[in-house]
Order: sequence, then structure tokens, then C-alpha cells
Amino acid sequence: MSTFDAGGSQLDTSWFLLLAAVLFILGTVGVLVRRNPLVILICIELMLNAANLTLVAFSRQLQNLEGQLFALMSMTVAAAEAVVGLAILVDIFRHRDAEDVDDLSELKG
Amino acid sequence: MAIAIFFIAAALAVAGGIGVIAFRQPLRSVLSLVVVMIALSILFLLLSAQFVFVAQIIVYAGAVMVLFLFVIALLGPAKEIGKGRLRFQPWLSALFVLALFGLLWAMLQGVQYRQPEQADLSTFGTVQSIGIGLFTKYLYPFELTSILLLVAAIGAIYLSRREGDDR
Repeated sequence: MSTFDAGGSQLDTSWFLLLAAVLFILGTVGVLVRRNPLVILICIELMLNAANLTLVAFSRQLQNLEGQLFALMSMTVAAAEAVVGLAILVDIFRHRDAEDVDDLSELKG
Repeated sequence: MAIAIFFIAAALAVAGGIGVIAFRQPLRSVLSLVVVMIALSILFLLLSAQFVFVAQIIVYAGAVMVLFLFVIALLGPAKEIGKGRLRFQPWLSALFVLALFGLLWAMLQGVQYRQPEQADLSTFGTVQSIGIGLFTKYLYPFELTSILLLVAAIGAIYLSRREGDDR
């Protein structure tokens, strides 16, 4: 029941979901393991993309366009997030070097 | 044919994702992420989401990634120092990630697929049908995203102003 037709051959929605899960996990590993704040932002983009893939896959499976509209919205949010995050990073780097996210611990109190 | 395309694109996406977290230089991470974006856009085409495909290429692989490249060019190519100061972090994160993947896997096994709605597939995902959705039923969320982008632009300009430039 979870297959759909794509140009004559049957694709399975669960393949897309599994791929999205793998990409999301890779992004999570990056956020947890990498130390450069810039790379952490890149990994967050990867996770957002994985979520987008699930939205579009379910949209095709249910033949309902709302998933694609939602994916477009989340693309906008991702773009806004990248802009603000990078601006904050540039501002931090202007005052000092922060090659390690653990250097940025002033808010700890 | 579609199955072959799917597996090629999926392999590209996973390889790019591994590249993102494995490369020491941020520049290479960004370029691997571009590979992931393009592979995902191919998958969007397979899912008959033409407009999302175009938006993915233009917005993500184009604009957002160029923004990252500019910031790297601005800050200089800093290589990552090898080890962090938290001793148990790698092990804890491995444990956490395994648990998360198990959770996602279990959720995938339990997905109940609803009966499709039998939409007209010849126009599914085209610019026209997406536009109709965005400008009728989802007009409010669509307009709200413009406010979000405005806020983000103002925030970025405010954050990147120079010191003592308070005119």
C-alpha cells in the first residue's frame, strides 16, 4: 500500500523515509561531535533537509499538496535561520576567535 | 529506471552527508552539503514535486550555500582542532544517536499509510497547483513567512553593523 508509480516503476515511500532518517541521524552526529560552530550550522541545515524529504514523500504518498507547501515554508525558515545564525557567528568572530563551541560559554553564569 | 535513479541519488545523499561530518575543513563540509542538496532535489523530482525541486536548487544549493561560502571566505579557512574538552561526549553522543535511530526505525515500522486521495497527478506539484495552494488556502502562512524573512534580514543587518556605527 505504500508504493506509488514514478515513471512506470513502483517506488516505496518507506525508502524515502529511511533515507531521510539516515540523513537526519548524520546531521545529529555532526551537531554532537563537531566543534566548529559553522559546521554545526551546516549540520542543522542537513537535518532540516531530511525533514523536508519526509514532508515531500508523504505528500506524494497521500497525493496531497499540503506536504509540499509545508516543505516550502520550512525552506524559508531554514534560510532565515541560516542568515541570523551566520550573522551572529560573524559578530562573535569579529571580537575573538571561536574555533571551538566550548569557548562560547559566557551564558553559563 | 526510477528505482535506479532513486538508489543513485540516495547513495549520493548519504555519501555527501558523511562528507559533511567527516571533513575537517568547513569549506569541504559546505561543498558536500551542496552534493546532498542536489541529490535531494533529484529525489524531489522522483516524488513529482517540480516546484520544490526548483526551489531547492535556487534557494538551498544556490543562495544559502553561497552565503555559507561567503562567511567561510570572510572568516578564513579555520581547521578544526582535534579533541574537545568533554571526556565522555563522543561515547554519550554515539549512545544518543543509536537510541534516536532506533526510535526513528521503530516509528518507520509502525507507519500506517492512509488511502491516497487520488489527486490529478498530471498537475501534481507544478508551479500552478502550488501557487493556487499558496495564494488561496495558505495565504496567511505565506504572508507570515514574508514577515519572518523581513525580521531575519533586519536582524542580520543589525548584527553585522560595525562597532560605533550607531547612526
